[in-house]
Order: sequence, then C-alpha cells, then structure tokens
Amino acid sequence: MEKPIQEERKAFLTGNEVVAWAALVAGAEFMYGYPITPQNEIMHYWTRLAPRYKRGFLQTEDELSAGFTTIGGVMGGKKAFTATAGPGNTLMQEPLSMAEMMRLPVVVVVQQRGGPSTATVIYSQQEVTLTTMGGNGEGLRIVYSTSSHQELFDYTIKAFNTAWRYRFPTFVLGDGYQAKMREPLTLYDPEARGVAMVGTEPFVGKEGVPGIERPPAQHRNTFSLEEELYEKVKTDAGDYEKIAPSVAEYSSKYTEDADLVILSHGVVFRAVAEAVGSLREHGFKVGFFRPVTLRPMPVGPAREMAQKAKKILIAESALGQLARLFKEAAFGAQAEIHTLFKPGMGITAEEVEEKARELLQ
Amino acid sequence: MEAVRTEMPAPAMPRSWRVDTKPHKFCPGCGHGLVLKCLGQAIDELNIQGRVVFGCDIGCSLLSWDFFNIDTIQTHHGRTTPVMVGLKRARPELVTIAYMGDGGGYAIGAQHLVNAASRGENITVVLANNTQYAMTGGQMAPTTLPGQKTETTPYGREPETTGYPFMGPEMVAAITREGAYVARGSVANLRQLKSYIKKALENQIAGRGFSFVEALSGCPTNWRTNAAETWDFIEEEMPNYFKVGEIKASAAAKKGEEDG
Amino acid sequence: MADRIVEAYTGEYAAGKSENALNRALELARRGRLVTLVDLDIVEPFYTLRPIQDELAAHGLTVLAWKTGETMGLGEAGTVIKPAARWALRRDGDVILDIGYGVGGSRTLNLVEGAGSDPDLKVLAVINISRPMTASVADIVQHVRDLGRVDGLINNTHLGDETTGEVVQEGARVVTEAARILGLPVVATAAAAEIAEKIGQADCMDNPVRPLTRFMQKAMW
Repeated sequence: MEKPIQEERKAFLTGNEVVAWAALVAGAEFMYGYPITPQNEIMHYWTRLAPRYKRGFLQTEDELSAGFTTIGGVMGGKKAFTATAGPGNTLMQEPLSMAEMMRLPVVVVVQQRGGPSTATVIYSQQEVTLTTMGGNGEGLRIVYSTSSHQELFDYTIKAFNTAWRYRFPTFVLGDGYQAKMREPLTLYDPEARGVAMVGTEPFVGKEGVPGIERPPAQHRNTFSLEEELYEKVKTDAGDYEKIAPSVAEYSSKYTEDADLVILSHGVVFRAVAEAVGSLREHGFKVGFFRPVTLRPMPVGPAREMAQKAKKILIAESALGQLARLFKEAAFGAQAEIHTLFKPGMGITAEEVEEKARELLQ
Repeated sequence: MEAVRTEMPAPAMPRSWRVDTKPHKFCPGCGHGLVLKCLGQAIDELNIQGRVVFGCDIGCSLLSWDFFNIDTIQTHHGRTTPVMVGLKRARPELVTIAYMGDGGGYAIGAQHLVNAASRGENITVVLANNTQYAMTGGQMAPTTLPGQKTETTPYGREPETTGYPFMGPEMVAAITREGAYVARGSVANLRQLKSYIKKALENQIAGRGFSFVEALSGCPTNWRTNAAETWDFIEEEMPNYFKVGEIKASAAAKKGEEDG
Repeated sequence: MADRIVEAYTGEYAAGKSENALNRALELARRGRLVTLVDLDIVEPFYTLRPIQDELAAHGLTVLAWKTGETMGLGEAGTVIKPAARWALRRDGDVILDIGYGVGGSRTLNLVEGAGSDPDLKVLAVINISRPMTASVADIVQHVRDLGRVDGLINNTHLGDETTGEVVQEGARVVTEAARILGLPVVATAAAAEIAEKIGQADCMDNPVRPLTRFMQKAMW
C-alpha cells in the first residue's frame, strides 16, 4: 500500500479533512457512508483521496446500511470505517449493537450536532450518552473525545489499532465545530513514528475450503438460552474490564492543590484549558480534569481527583451527559459539584472563567 | 447415536451442507430446507464452496446460520443485504449470498433491497416467500394474500386497508438494468428453482450485477395446513398472485437455460 | 465604468476564499469605491460572511448574504441562494463574489446572471500550499484546471497561528511556478498584516503582497 504521507509535515486543515487523512495513513481500506451534516467533508475528502491510494468508498442508502456495510467490510478482514452525526448516529446504533455483540472492530467517527431530533447541525456535545451507551446492550465500546486537529488525527489512527487489537467497536467523538474549524497540525505516517499498525484478519472468507480443509467460520448474534447470553455478555464485559485501565486516557493539570477542578471533554476542554491558565495567572487555585476516553472512563484518576477537590465544575454543551458518566465514576466522593450546562451551545473561556470566579468567592 | 448414523447409507445431501448440524432446525414440511437444498446443489455444481459467504437474516432464515459448510454471518432483520454488499465490495473475489424471508426483504429491509438492486451490487439475494411472518408467530407480511388470515389480519387480509401482495421480483426487475438476473421459483419445482439459483450465482460470478431469486415456500406450521393443503396453497393459491418464471435474464443466462 | 472591478474568488475548501474576498472588498471600500460583496458559498457553508455582515457593512460594504436567523434548516435543507445574489452583477460599482468550494469549481458563477458575458469579471483561484491537496506544483496545476475558468492565482499560503514569513515565501515560489505552467498571473500573495509587513511590498517572486486582516475565525455559521 502506497504511503500517503512520505515525510512528516505541517498542514492547515479542517477537522473533517483531518479524519480522512488519518484514516488514510492508518491504512483504512474502505469507507462506507451516508451524507449528513456536519461530517460530509470526511466523505468529500475520502472520495478525493481514495482512488489515488487504491482505497474503496461506497455511498449507501442510509446510516443503517452504512453501518452494516462497514460490518461486511470488517468481517471480510478489511480496515473499514464510517462517519455520522445526530440522527444518523441514532440509526447507526443498530449496526453498532451487532458489532458489539459480535466483537467487530468497526471504527465510527461521530461529529456531534444538536439534538434531540434534527435540531441544529454544528455545535453540540449531546451525543455522549448515545455514543457511549447506545444500542440495546451494555455499552461495550471505546469512545475517544478529541479537542484539537492534532488529536483528531492521532486518535483516528489510534481508533483503528484499538478496534483491531481489542475487537470492540471504537468511536472518535468530535463535533461540528471541530469538523469545520481550521488549524495547523502535523501529518505523519504512524509507522515512521514507531506506531505499529495492528494487522487485520478476516472473520469470513478465510483461506481453505470450509468443512474440508477447516471448520466453517460461522458467526451469529442470536441466542436462545438466557444462560448462554449471560455467559457471552459476562465474558465480553470481563474482557472489557480487563482492558479498560490500559485503554482509558485523560489529562489533568493543577489538580493537586486546587480549590476548584473544572471537568470537561472535547472541544469545551479548549475553553476550559484557556480559562484555567488565565485563572492561575491571577492566583486562583484552579485545575482541570479532562477524560479523553469517555468510555471507558478513567475511573481511578477521576475518583482520586474528586476525593481531593473541594469543588468541581462540570462544563459541557449538553445537559449533564458527561456529568452522568463522571458521577458514576466518582461515586462516593465528597466534592461539591457545580455545573455549566449549555446544551447545543458553545462555551467560551470567558464564561468558564466567570463561573469559576463566582464559585471561588 | 453417531455410530448408528455412520452405518446408515449416506443421506442425499449436497456436499456443501454441514452434516453435523442435520437434521436441520426447521419445522417438518418447511420450505426453507428445500430452498437451501437447491442452493446447496447449485453451490456444489459450481464448485464454489471455498469462496462463498452466506448471510442469513432474522426470521426463520436465521436457523440456517450453521446449515452449510460455508462461512456464514447471521445478521439483523432486513440487514443481510447491506452486510453482504459491504463484504462483496471489500472482497470482490468472494461469492456472497444474502438469504432472507419476505419480511426481511420486502418490509424492514426494503430500502436495502431497492438500493442494492438499483446500484447493481454484484451479490445474490435469495428470498423465501411464505406469505407471512413465521418466526414471530404468523403475522401479516407484505406478501400475505388477500383474504388470508394471519394473527394481525384475523378476518383475512383486506387489500382496501392493507394493500395487495408485494411483487418483489417484478419490482427488482423494474429497477435493475441489463445484466441483472431476476426470477421467481417455487419449492413445488425444485429442478427449476435450483436452475434459477444457479444462474443467479453464475450471474454474480460473471460480474454481471445484481441477482435475485424469490422462492415460493411453504409454512405448514403457521398456515396450520396438512401436507395436501400445504401443496395446494403453494401450487394453486400463491401463483394466482406470484407468477413463477424468469423475469429478467441476460442473453447469456437464457442460453444457459436452453443448454441446461 | 471602465475601471469597474469584478472579481470572483474560487479555490479549494478552506483555501481562504472568503478571507481574501472580504479583505479585497474592504480595501476597495477604503479607497472610497462602491463595493458589493456577495456570498455564494453553497456546498457546506460554515465559515461564511453571514455572521459578520453587519461588521463588514459598517466598513461601508454592501453585503449580499443571508443572516443566519433568516434561514431555516441550515445544513439540512440545501443552501438557498439569496435572490439578490443572482442579480449582483447588475449593481453599480465593484462586485466581489465569494464562491465556495466544490467539484463545480467556478461553474458556480453560472448561478449569477450575466457572469458569462461580464467584460470586467476576473476569476481568481486562492491557493494555500499548506493544504495537502494543493501542496505541489503538479497538484496545483491539476486543481486549477479542474476549477474551470480561472484568470489568476492568489498565493494564500499560511499555517494559521503558526505562519512564518518563510511559509508564505515558500508558497510564493510554488504558486508562481504553477502559474507559469498554467500561463496565469499571480495576482497577489496574501498574508496576515504583521507578516505582510515583514515581507514588504513584494514577495520573493516579485508578486505584490496584500495584507489581510483575519475576520473569518469569528465568522462561524
């Protein structure tokens, strides 16, 4: 496979383009997708780039089909992905529940938009619950929430490795703002940086004649006995729990002596980081805690932080979707919890700073 | 039990069937076993067991998830078509077969059938039409005949309020281009049904585009029919609406028929 | 009307079309000219003139763009063209058209009455070589050919906050070489004001330098 990035270089891109480039350098062989704002340019750029590097694309009839064709590609042993948002993410949960049941390394990029229903198309963090816990199951999936173009690039590459290494559906959770905003980043070939790409293998269409040279590879998601399902879910949940500590990622700063720790994820973290920097300059003991993986949550560090902090401010562009995940992780901790919830609205550094000052008085 | 079985004469099963999962999981008298026998024979005759992937739906078709000695994916209701499309796009060297019932193909998965056919996806769809939802206990399907009683049409299907039977192959023929293969067979004529399925697979192998075979099939369990009534329904009632025959075949496929 | 200026800004997605179009319009307005700035971004408008049109109007421009509040279902319904935009070339004075990206390239101008026969119209392709699909001479040449009608190039090479003079100058070298192959002029090298000041009146390839004030970062949706 020809390497799309021969030499590391700086580039100026929109977030959606970053995803297309990242999938390309990660060795993704096929994208299946259905148009929905704000993720369209992932397809626009994938379709511009794919023929140059002999990758495939199929525009499907809807997101159900986009998800299920991605499953077909993955089961054929190809690194395949799709991208969606909002109502498309809702439909995508059906194929994703099958991927969860059958432990299929499907990669999905979600560029969140406002909800419920059609709502707005650019700014929101309201797909956290759906993406982490969607489908009729136990949320055995991995969700990376990015906050910059460099992260969007790094974690899209990583998502393919995580998915194929652990065989859980893996999401990169961005939003319309990240999708459209423009900023510089470094494009690189992962292997040139020593990041080994995890290999793939087919689930079906394997070598040899089934029944003669090997047993047939037969995969199902239907069970009759409760006991059989129970064993299956317990096993998968056990696997998930085992990998969770090594998969979970977060970043934090100034939490050791903080009177107030501000919790956020994704694009809102940009505003929080700026606000915390400014507050520190003014002598306030403020820190931040930011989960990079929303599923699994970095439970240990989150709880430890919540036990030390006096006050926690949770800032998100949703009505408490991150807060719910955090409260579960930090259950029992004594910190006072305050919120800055703006569903479907942007949050600026100034707003965060103002709210923090209020809480510190 | 195993010892007894091996001493018996080899049963007349297609080579591609998986012997250790037989007897199969379908009801006595079910049409699925017959359709899958035709499919197995076609796979044997084409000698493609090593490169076929079989996908089955929700509904009674899922009971075929371990039916063949063939790599198999049991999918969701109506979603076998896109799974097989995705697989075929990623692995064009494989022969992919989506197997489903009338509910999966014509109701919940209709958008997938329509668009896969319309795009000319190079896959084969085999659909068993038994005029109702068997797996969920005999509700009305798009294919239920006027007047036919089901659990959701307890007084018989009224076309004024619930429409007429869904003409699947006719629809597929209307939205596909030259190169597609579309036929309706019946478990009442297995030789013909096998030839249709074989031609559908040959169509895919030749890369000519979408191939689709509907098989008129019986469900004595939900119809509550004895053997004579079952065959009467398949051979006399169903063809009143569903005409058996090739609806779209390329010149090459037709030639195959004459030679065959 | 001999000196009437009519320019359409085209180019790749995120190449800087709107930024260059509005800066050009402002420059002309500062010279006391009558200027109409037209938003024709229709594929996926995100950074558009809409949110900043009042600010631009305060500088003396006439801006033909929807206000977001006047629209319904952005990104869900198609991008509806403001009827006034279709007739923009019938207006007195200078007209600067910001045409978005898309496989249609400069064919978007077909939506504007009289564009095909306007004697003053110049179609300018904005190029940023920090964008990977227009990073090399060969890629730029192909890209510009795919755009359809183009009468000149603008080197708008930058890396956002990480831009240096050398980044811009490297863009000037590559874009100028592409322009030579295409037989087109490089109309200008555009750079943020503080960098433009360092470079001077002309870049290393002797193209005139246009200082830009960045408006578009705050012009979301």
